[in-house]
Amino acid sequence: MARMKFLCDAERCIECNACVTACKNENEVPWGVNRRRVITLDDGEPGEKSVSVACMHCTDAPCAAVCPVDCFYTTTDGLVLHDKDLCIGCGYCFYACPFGAPQFPEESAFSQRGKMDKCTFCAGGPEEDNSNAEYEKYGANRIAEGKLPACAEMCSTKALLAGDGELVADIYLKRVMQRSGRPDTWGWQKAYGAGV
Amino acid sequence: MSRYALLALALLAPLVVAGCYEDVTPTHYEAGVYKGKTDPLLEKLESGDLRDQLDQRFEIAATDR
Amino acid sequence: MKLIRKRSVPAAEQIANTTPDGGAGINRREFLRRSGITVTGAAMATGLGPGMMRRAEAERMETAPKAGVETEVRRSVCTHCSVGCGVMAEVQNGVWTGQEPDFESPINLGAHCAKGASLREHGHGEKRVKYPMKLVDGKWKRLSWDEAVNEIGDKLLEIREKSGPDSVFWCGSSKASNEGSYLQRKFAAFWGTNNIDHQARICHSTTVAGVANTWGYGAMTNSYNDMHNCKSMIFVGSNAAEAHPVAMQHILRAKENGARMIVVDPRFTRTAAHADQYMRLRPGSDVGFIWGLLWHVFENGWEDREYINARVFGLDDIRKEVANWTPDVVEDVTGVPEEEMYEAAKTLAENRPGTIVWCMGGTQHHIGNNNTRAYCVLQLALGNIGKEGGGANIFRGHDNVQGATDVGPNCHTLPGYYGLSEGAWRHWSRVWDVDYEYIRGRFDTEQQYDAGGGDMAYTMNIPGMPVSRWIDGILEDRENLSQKDKFHAIFFQGHAVNSQTRGPEMKKALEEVELVVVSDPYPTHLAVMSERQNDTYLLPTCTQFEQAGSVTASNRSLQWREKVVDPLFESKTDAEVLYLFAEKFGFADQMFKNIKIEDGMPSPEDTLREINRGTWTIGYTGQSPERLKAHMANRGAFNTTSLRAEGTDLDGEVYGLPWPCWGPPEMRHPGTPVLYDTSKPVSQGGLTFRARFGTEYKGQNLLAEGSYSKDSDLDDGYPEFTFGMLRQLGWHTELTAEEIRTIKSVAGVDDESNFEEMSFDPGSPGAKLDGVNWKTDLSGGIQRVAIKHECAPFGNAKARCIVWQFPDPVPVHREPLYTQRYDLVEKYPTYEDRKAFWRLPTAYASIQATDYSGDYPLSFISGRLTEYEGGGEETRSNIWLAELQQEMFVEINPADANDRGINDGQRVWLEGPEGGRINVVAMVTPRVGRGVVWTPFHFGGWFQGQDLIDRYPEGTAPYVRGEACNTATTYGYDSVTQMQETKATLCQITSA
Repeated sequence: MARMKFLCDAERCIECNACVTACKNENEVPWGVNRRRVITLDDGEPGEKSVSVACMHCTDAPCAAVCPVDCFYTTTDGLVLHDKDLCIGCGYCFYACPFGAPQFPEESAFSQRGKMDKCTFCAGGPEEDNSNAEYEKYGANRIAEGKLPACAEMCSTKALLAGDGELVADIYLKRVMQRSGRPDTWGWQKAYGAGV
Repeated sequence: MSRYALLALALLAPLVVAGCYEDVTPTHYEAGVYKGKTDPLLEKLESGDLRDQLDQRFEIAATDR
Repeated sequence: MKLIRKRSVPAAEQIANTTPDGGAGINRREFLRRSGITVTGAAMATGLGPGMMRRAEAERMETAPKAGVETEVRRSVCTHCSVGCGVMAEVQNGVWTGQEPDFESPINLGAHCAKGASLREHGHGEKRVKYPMKLVDGKWKRLSWDEAVNEIGDKLLEIREKSGPDSVFWCGSSKASNEGSYLQRKFAAFWGTNNIDHQARICHSTTVAGVANTWGYGAMTNSYNDMHNCKSMIFVGSNAAEAHPVAMQHILRAKENGARMIVVDPRFTRTAAHADQYMRLRPGSDVGFIWGLLWHVFENGWEDREYINARVFGLDDIRKEVANWTPDVVEDVTGVPEEEMYEAAKTLAENRPGTIVWCMGGTQHHIGNNNTRAYCVLQLALGNIGKEGGGANIFRGHDNVQGATDVGPNCHTLPGYYGLSEGAWRHWSRVWDVDYEYIRGRFDTEQQYDAGGGDMAYTMNIPGMPVSRWIDGILEDRENLSQKDKFHAIFFQGHAVNSQTRGPEMKKALEEVELVVVSDPYPTHLAVMSERQNDTYLLPTCTQFEQAGSVTASNRSLQWREKVVDPLFESKTDAEVLYLFAEKFGFADQMFKNIKIEDGMPSPEDTLREINRGTWTIGYTGQSPERLKAHMANRGAFNTTSLRAEGTDLDGEVYGLPWPCWGPPEMRHPGTPVLYDTSKPVSQGGLTFRARFGTEYKGQNLLAEGSYSKDSDLDDGYPEFTFGMLRQLGWHTELTAEEIRTIKSVAGVDDESNFEEMSFDPGSPGAKLDGVNWKTDLSGGIQRVAIKHECAPFGNAKARCIVWQFPDPVPVHREPLYTQRYDLVEKYPTYEDRKAFWRLPTAYASIQATDYSGDYPLSFISGRLTEYEGGGEETRSNIWLAELQQEMFVEINPADANDRGINDGQRVWLEGPEGGRINVVAMVTPRVGRGVVWTPFHFGGWFQGQDLIDRYPEGTAPYVRGEACNTATTYGYDSVTQMQETKATLCQITSA
């Protein structure tokens, strides 16, 4: 079955951070918590490339595998979500994640970790869809409304794509054909396995 | 040095060497069974309509019209 | 969790498995995060309740969308740059709770940059000025609007009484709507001064002057969307990826279509990272660079001779100058080697049509007008102007800087570039429906002053002091000014002073001036940078999301904004504030004669209709509020490349009716997507070059030769249309009786006789009638008839490469006033000092006479960050943006840092040659070349090492404050427009 994926087209990403503020805006994410970030390699030098990174919603999600309280679940379309009521903020998922996606808001002056927070693919969490309770804990649930993640929908150059993996690949391949360049599907192999 | 000491060293040596060995086949874990609340979204996603809606949305959002 | 070994993973993949944080590169944000900045944010993220991912403050929750509450969608346009991205705002119970991508907009197709994607924060505005305030012995005190208007108004009237109307500097805004900015200009006229200006002065004034004097109009010729058609693109001093991020969507599409992309900049920008070729240019050497390219073009015969013969004047004079710019000279002056120059010239020659994009890197020089004209000449030589995929795509800055330049607060002209002549004043008096003598009486008519070069004139006809120089209007000796007295009051509505140079002198000026008024959503740097104790007022003023109105994007398209939310706190719109003061000064009835006042707010629709009735010069006449609203409602129907509507009632119209949109709205002209494009009829948006400079120069024909727009009834060049010209052509009979009546009233002719009997001899009423032209005919009849014959109302001429009215008719290179290459000053010196230039003495040679390059060896330039805009007060007060850029910094090359023992991330002092110093964090990076340093210009709220947080009214200090780079920048002003020279000055950097 087709599943949802993120893809950041590094040829188009200009590191404008729209994805970051779109996420903050849509989910009212507080200062210090970054569900999405833009990473630049070779900053200021020829070959400079940027990619936007968040939870990639991996096929065999390492975060889910190491979670001591088993608070992660995967939706039928491949989104990796979690239940904050179960989360104990241990931080194992952070160490397991190859993308540095899990975030921990500081809870006290001694920096004990709060509940883990991460990108939900704008799909909320295990509460009634689009309820106030869901918004408070997880942010928006655009998927339930038939919309896709705000970060990708607002990307300045349509570099960040989010949607059904096959459709994403179609668009990306068209661009590659047009550019007749080398594919640069950053993070895909790591997230979705060797077969992509 | 006593024979026992030598023997002890001999027995220890492989362990010491083993300590320098890097295991390139790390442990992978399998996820446990989800213990949290049911997400009503899961049921919604079973509906082909929502999937179609999301696919149409993608076409609108991602194509260079 | 079950601990089961599942399968092996190859070691190679393990190594590749680095987290994004651990990668090889260190980026700007990572750098800042590591540079030990502990921000207010740490406090903000703490104290979250269990299970709460939401913002700690309870009040913030009110801004989140609520389940089961009715949601309304309002359409607006982003206020953060000139691209003009559509915005869809979701509002619940009057609170801005959501933002959706506007996929229908042909301009952004739903996309935003960091600023656009965080607009909803404007609906919260927790750092805003919430009610009127004034400084009393150094403390901010609240007062009512009534008290504020009365106190300020009384003081202004007292100053006016004592020192005349020119003793107040009014600063308008490029961030006001067309209607707001138009009323700012009109307000100054009714107050009786030309001392009103806005951001365009320090942004693209040299472009407007240079480009308009080359081919007619000083605006972007094509559009962001049209760049899809480019075969090549050269960016000079433009960093679109950070300054116009959504434009990059179109630019990268062009690149994917095969266009070659060249970026020329002293700095390897994020735009350069996407280019096919990057060339590092020495700051301030643009003319030499362009002539260097043209040297190869001429050498290889790559110029478009047919095009030049038909449509270009004066290129031979350029050839003579270009001949001096041999590859070795070019390399010496610009730093770019011959092979690179050749490669770039070849790319441009072989990939036509191509476009040139330039921004502040090209304009902010004391020879800015030379730079912009050189860019134009390059495009004319290549035959790229007036073509889809070609053009001079001048990306403007603020969201409405184009509109404010067109119809807003400019000190050198009335709305529509009519100028300040008596004819211009008479035209606008007619539009305003007031007596010319009344307006004249508002001005200082006691005495005439030096208008430059010893020509005496009344201040009504002398350009006012520009915003780049307002501090000199306070600090300069009174007898050196071309007006009665110095500035005793300044009134800033929507303008950040930290974007102007010479910080320490600005502080001094602020401490000297009697009255300071800031009408702005935020206190701005202006409220805190000086040690004023009294007579300083803050008037809470709305953003554009709290009002409706039109806005002109860089591509000349107008879009209509709906009001998203009601004014926050006690804020009032620009127009409301102006109305209150007009009432106080007693000219509200005259000024708002034909503009309805609803609830204290001048109707934006009526205001736009007044603009429509008067702005014939640039075709702002067809864009009625009704047409603009129809475009907004149907924006999905427009093609994203041509911007033309496909189907619907708007079929064939161009999105936003880009000016010129000729004739009255009823004529339904579709707007002009590409200026000077002769391949289309004028009625369909085609155009010729404007006949603006006469019909001949030194005996040579200035009109086009054998070139004309499609289907034109005149198949050669022709001058601009007048009633007399229509008469000679016999086309005057096509005017309606109503049109003729209006033309007669404009001419002041009440002769009822018919044209056969009328005399047209010099001095006769007929001669007066003959003189009414396409710009002054308030009926639009002359334009209508010209266009019926598919002729351009403004004539059909050649573009000119030499501007004989300018100090340098042929653009030449001159070294910056503060130059690193003092050895070149002898060969490329600046101008002589001028005594009266825009009412002020202006120094050139006397500054360049001193060599500062020894003590200040680094070339200092500035630029933009994606997250912030302009002076940055608004965006640094936006929590989502502020988090991403928390510290003012300076980029310095590793070699220069090592020479000074400076480490990445340490604090340094950056000092300019006039003594201004800023304390900033060093970012050591090869992004800048050796000998060049770069800072962003959006910071404020610090002054020479001191955080001014205590001087802000409580709760209004932006989340992020930092040194304003312009505290350290220096003197230097363009020889035509008074643009400040910020893209080539000097500094020294030392450890702090």
